[in-house]
Amino acid sequence: MKIKLNPIIKKDLQVSARSMRISWGLFGYEMLLAVAFLIALSIIQAESRSYYSNNIYSYLVYLFPVVAIAQIGIVMLIVPILTAGSISGEKERQTFDIMLTTCMSPFSIVLGKVTSAVIRILFFVVASTPIMALAFVVGGLSWFDLFTFILTIIMLAFFTGSIGIFCSSVCRKAIAAVILSFVFYAVIFGGTFIPSLIHALFAYSSYGNDYMGESMVFWLFNPIIFYEEYFTQIMTGESLLNGANFDLDEVGPLTYLLSQGKVWMFVSAICIILLSLVFMAAAAWKVNPLHSSGGRKPGKKKAGQE
Amino acid sequence: MLYINDLTKNYGSFTAVNHLSLHIPEGDLFGFVGPNGAGKTTTIRIVCGLLKASGGSVRIGNSSAPVGSKEMKRMIGYVPDFFGVYDNLKVKEYMDMYGSMYGMDSGDIAKLTDDLLELVNLTDKKEFYVDTLSRGMKQRLCVARALLHNPKLLILDEPSSGLDPRARVEMKELLKNLHSMGKTIIISSHILSELSEMCNSIGIMNRGQLITAGKIEDVMQHFGGGQKLHIRVISEMEPAVRLLQEQAGVTVQSVRENEILVGYQGTEEQIGRLLQYMVQNQVTMTDFYREAGTLESLFMQLTGGGAQ
Repeated sequence: MKIKLNPIIKKDLQVSARSMRISWGLFGYEMLLAVAFLIALSIIQAESRSYYSNNIYSYLVYLFPVVAIAQIGIVMLIVPILTAGSISGEKERQTFDIMLTTCMSPFSIVLGKVTSAVIRILFFVVASTPIMALAFVVGGLSWFDLFTFILTIIMLAFFTGSIGIFCSSVCRKAIAAVILSFVFYAVIFGGTFIPSLIHALFAYSSYGNDYMGESMVFWLFNPIIFYEEYFTQIMTGESLLNGANFDLDEVGPLTYLLSQGKVWMFVSAICIILLSLVFMAAAAWKVNPLHSSGGRKPGKKKAGQE
Repeated sequence: MLYINDLTKNYGSFTAVNHLSLHIPEGDLFGFVGPNGAGKTTTIRIVCGLLKASGGSVRIGNSSAPVGSKEMKRMIGYVPDFFGVYDNLKVKEYMDMYGSMYGMDSGDIAKLTDDLLELVNLTDKKEFYVDTLSRGMKQRLCVARALLHNPKLLILDEPSSGLDPRARVEMKELLKNLHSMGKTIIISSHILSELSEMCNSIGIMNRGQLITAGKIEDVMQHFGGGQKLHIRVISEMEPAVRLLQEQAGVTVQSVRENEILVGYQGTEEQIGRLLQYMVQNQVTMTDFYREAGTLESLFMQLTGGGAQ
């Protein structure tokens, strides 16, 4: 059976591969990662000497989270810029209407846009592999860790891309969509803590402890928590949740199961992917002209139009 | 071919399309005319699935497929009034992308691309980047793109907008060519003289309502847009004017030296009988002709002089 490539992915990759923008972007990305790597290396060396350690190489393992966090930060900055302009850019260019009159469904259009952004992010990930590999080689981590990290980066790109595309479907201008994407980041990254904080405050005032309980379920949707748990497990072999000392009788089987680090990460990854799909479905709904009941009253057109 | 039944589109309290019903037969080149804000583009966008109607239905042929469905989209080729292109994309890649969006095979797309580029006279531009083409070439490329999936109905919204005179002529020739191939085409345009040359039927819209639609000659005749008679008399003027005024349906509009301008609501046969009557009554004439009606004059008459 012949698998057909989504035409939007093909077009976006063709167009971006011919643009100098991606080359300069890759260059800047490599430079930033290299700077992060060198700064981390010099700090780690200085720290290791100050403790008169016999095993200064054990400190080099910290190169990994530093470089990885730099990479995560850059991906989170780049992906909304790539996707936030994808729908609004098509609308601004006045190519979107033609796209909607073809046999592609709005969801295929949205999926194509997000996937092409993820693939472009993969260019960056692949280009950064030598620097990451260096962190792994001198940091003493395995290739499997590198592989799982790349998988999590793809997941993160998919997640941030879906937020970007949703904002792009809502906003008319690309710049507004980028700004709205960062607002969504703030809501998801910060907002998922709010139920836990309320729960903890209530627990503290009532029972004198700061137990957060089931409200921690919201953390499953937070990539920051996901990465915190990921790095804790990779660096120490422990889980952040171990410190919570959940009692099976007190928290129930579901929360207890989630409190196991590996299970938490797996469920969290699924939750993040599901949330991404929700954003994409919402974007597809928004761009579908037949789901808009009223529409916009026709106004003045641009120069050159009727 | 295209059946629009009781179509309505409201934006809050504003009605853009008001209970529009229209039938465009297969093989017609239909000109959609109306002043700005008449509802032409709104109607076209609803037919193409780009806008949800508030009421009514649209059907193509015997298909019961709803607007916006894949089946319906396969039957329509749409050329919008204004469209952009992608940077860094070649003409053949542009065609390939849209062909793929209709689920066509690459081989079929490549073959059809060659044929269509020849049709729109862009064969030598196949390897060119789309953004380097002139406006007229882009417009023709857009027509080729709209024909790629062999739609039953081709809809063009202001195809001559922003084109120079040469590009307009090329576009007109292309559309005439497509019409002669049997394609059903709908054109919305402001350039009425072009429409009257190209189209065999028209629909005139004003304030969201369809005022009239049908074959151009039928519409002209029905609304009397061309019933102005010029009569040049070399005998006495006064008896000639009096004879004309005695006839039913005749309005003497002006009398200048030896020329009388007459408004007349009558058929060709009745005009012939009027000429015969004048001759029988010893009125000597050198000219007796009907002023050719124009789409412009009809349009102005029906829309109350709406800005065009």
